Amino acid sequence: MNAASPLAASQLRARAEAAAAALPALLLSAERLAAALQPGAHGLRRPGVGEDFWQYRPAAPGDTMRQIDWRRSARSDATFVREQELETAHSAIIWVSAGQGMDWTGDRSRPTKRARAELLAMALTLVLLRGGEKVGVSGRPPQAGRAQADRIAHDLLAQEPAPGDADLPGTGDLRPLRRMILIGDFLTDPAPVAGYLRTAASQGIAGALLQVLDPVEEAFPFSGAVRFRSAAGGLRHETRNADALRDAYLDRLAAQREALERAASAAGWRFGTHDTGSAPGQALLWLHGALAG
Amino acid sequence: MLTLGPLGFAAPWVLTALIALPVLWLLLRAVPPAPREVTFPGTALLAGLPDPAPITRRTPWWLLALRMAAIAALILGLAGPVWKPAPLATATGPLLVVMDAGWQAAPGWTAARARALAVLEQAAADARPAALLLADGQAGRGETLPFQPAAEQAARLRGTEPQAWETRYPPDPSAALAEAPEGFATLWLSDGLDHPGRAEWLAALSARGPVSVVPQSAPVRSLQIEPGAAPALTMRSTADAPWPAVLAIGPDPQGIPRTLARLTAPEGAPASGETTLPIDLPSELRNRVTRFAIEGEASAGAIVLADDRVRRPKVALAGDVRSTEGQALLSPLHYLRQALAQRSDLIEGTLAEVIPAAPDVIILSDEILEPDDSALPEWVSDGGLLIRFAGPRMAGSDLLDLDPLLPVRLRPGGRDVGGALSWGEPRTIQPFGPVGPFAGLTAPDDVTVRAQLMAEPDPELTARTIAALSDGTPLVTREELGQGQVVMFHSSASADWSSLPISGLFVEMLGRLVQSAGRGAARDETPQTTDDEPFWTAELVLDGFGRPADPAEIAPVAAEDLTAGPAPGAPVGIYAAGQRRIALNAGGELPPAGAPAAWPGARVEQAATQPGLSLRGWLVALAAALLAIDAAASAALAGRRGGGMAKGVLA
Repeated sequence: MNAASPLAASQLRARAEAAAAALPALLLSAERLAAALQPGAHGLRRPGVGEDFWQYRPAAPGDTMRQIDWRRSARSDATFVREQELETAHSAIIWVSAGQGMDWTGDRSRPTKRARAELLAMALTLVLLRGGEKVGVSGRPPQAGRAQADRIAHDLLAQEPAPGDADLPGTGDLRPLRRMILIGDFLTDPAPVAGYLRTAASQGIAGALLQVLDPVEEAFPFSGAVRFRSAAGGLRHETRNADALRDAYLDRLAAQREALERAASAAGWRFGTHDTGSAPGQALLWLHGALAG
Repeated sequence: MLTLGPLGFAAPWVLTALIALPVLWLLLRAVPPAPREVTFPGTALLAGLPDPAPITRRTPWWLLALRMAAIAALILGLAGPVWKPAPLATATGPLLVVMDAGWQAAPGWTAARARALAVLEQAAADARPAALLLADGQAGRGETLPFQPAAEQAARLRGTEPQAWETRYPPDPSAALAEAPEGFATLWLSDGLDHPGRAEWLAALSARGPVSVVPQSAPVRSLQIEPGAAPALTMRSTADAPWPAVLAIGPDPQGIPRTLARLTAPEGAPASGETTLPIDLPSELRNRVTRFAIEGEASAGAIVLADDRVRRPKVALAGDVRSTEGQALLSPLHYLRQALAQRSDLIEGTLAEVIPAAPDVIILSDEILEPDDSALPEWVSDGGLLIRFAGPRMAGSDLLDLDPLLPVRLRPGGRDVGGALSWGEPRTIQPFGPVGPFAGLTAPDDVTVRAQLMAEPDPELTARTIAALSDGTPLVTREELGQGQVVMFHSSASADWSSLPISGLFVEMLGRLVQSAGRGAARDETPQTTDDEPFWTAELVLDGFGRPADPAEIAPVAAEDLTAGPAPGAPVGIYAAGQRRIALNAGGELPPAGAPAAWPGARVEQAATQPGLSLRGWLVALAAALLAIDAAASAALAGRRGGGMAKGVLA
């Protein structure tokens, strides 16, 4: 029983909506951008195309007749033009690791890591969409609107498992002004992740890294003679006394997390952990905070 | 056999394997348990970690003891332990084993042969000479019994099987035992029945040493057919047991032999002795039956091979629709019906109706056939028997020359003798010749013929006449046509031309003719030697168990030998001579239950007295049970060690 039975897209969305219901709508903190690429729901505190009133200014040559606000102009001799605040949308890319180790749970009463990661990704998607952001999964164009939630749920569920244990998003998603959210178990070599983060940082992309682990992976409750095998089967380790391996394993896990943390902070990213034994709301709050900060 | 107190071992050398037990103990202790296979995504973090001091987990002592006990039980079981083994033939000196080897011995043959083999092997181990007398009617004829090393006799015995004839002893015991040692013990594996010469042999053997007799424990059943107009099966048994069913076996429409019907003993039949089962089957089914066999009985005597005697011919009375309106006693068909109903299946209808029913015989009374009708000549050439009777219509017809199916040319008009306008007395029937279908019948004097259809003089007339009147004119003529034949009664089938139809002779003549339908004239119950067919060739033979054997090995048998029943050289089977086929069956009289053959002066071992209680099966079963417990205990242990975590390993 590798994975919990696959959720239908509608089920995933329903559960994600329930998880996201308690959160306030999230607007990514404004980071003024030099060039507004697309209109959206963000007030950019300068005139432009938008819905909110920004200022009146005297009409200048080149303004068309339709732009003149006649009611304001009637109160004085000069003619005025009403300007709206320029609005644009941020776009966020959410990536969920498709490594085969994600399809694993230590106890059939818990969801697999991948199921939990998909749930978190979907909840975050809904929060962001509610805030008017443009959201997409890795490899797809980000879009806004409620309908995008369905597409994302579908894309998440349709993701094929990666051939090996490790998985990383392609650098094709890295565009300026995007936010990246990476969710995975990050149990393999941290060097490729660090390299990815450096590439992202060089383009000024911020994001968050969430490590989802099973409690068994955090506690290592094995004993006796055990032959370990990674989910993809590529890695093996045989021991005759698993009890004695526990401390070494936990040390390595801590070192792994430290390495990821270092790489994330160096790139201006946030790194967090989550175990499938705890409630998903905590992780969602953390993601919310990581993006807002 | 090694004997330790009340326990004997048939294969004591196996016990040496017990030496290996302590070694096994050490080995089982030292071997660590097999690692569990666990899928774990964190394996990447484990890569390269050194294995700290491994702990060999010792198997619990009680589990070890359990395994030891299982292996010990297996070794002991394979050593063939016997509780209180009966001393097999404790006598010393030469040994003679007598085995009844007729079909009566077939039901218990395996047990009897195993017993004889055990005794012979024991004798071989003790280096005693032994002789083997197979009472199959072939051994010991005119020669003495050789006493040889027992191992040779055992090897001889392994290849023997019961024969498809009765148990027969060599005729002269003293001649056969002429070169035997002075004293020897005898083990007689009897089939439980009396046979000619048994008492003489028993006396001769008792005079030379102790005789132990082991009668057959399995009941003997036999099956016999009672031929006649309504054949029935007689089943006999020596046991007070419910009668088994009798299977009628024959080819199905695809030609594959299968059970066509199951005949069961009638309600209220005596529990033993003999019972009669009527063969109550539709004639289409019965004519396909090739053998009857007692269900579950493997012996040649429990099988009846069906020959033509079992078949009931199908006779069609064709033509003459007027008879339904006339007075019954004046209808010619009435006498035919009365004569044939007992021994054949009758169908009636017009010619076009009866030919598709494929009868064996078609009888036409006073009918003139159309010259261009082809169905009836074809049917006759395919093996049908057409019997025609003359009558006023044929006498008055001027189309007789055109009739295609007449054995001889007939003179139109007929002939009246003994009437008011004729000279002479009514003619009687000439005695039947020794050859021909009516051979052996006697013609009563009061059977007279007043009118007949005369045959034109012809060179072949004499050859074709099979019955004649006292003046030599033909009464019945016959001609072969293809595989079939046409028989013509020159008188009528009703009583107005002759008194033949109201005599018993008429019934017998028709019976002979009908019996000869199909396979020629081979319905005699006993084979008769004819000048042209002095020998009968086996077409199908059975062995003592009732299984088909190779008929090519059987030399042709003289007819007199066949009448004596199955014998060496003439086993149970189907024999053919020319067109005639007869079945030679073995089943016959059996002594009633509870009256086995008497064995004065001999020690009779009841088959129920076992030669000791064999513990082999029990011990092997115990070993299997212990190993099963061990597997369960190991699984439980593994589960406990893994703890709740094992449940999480879902790979």
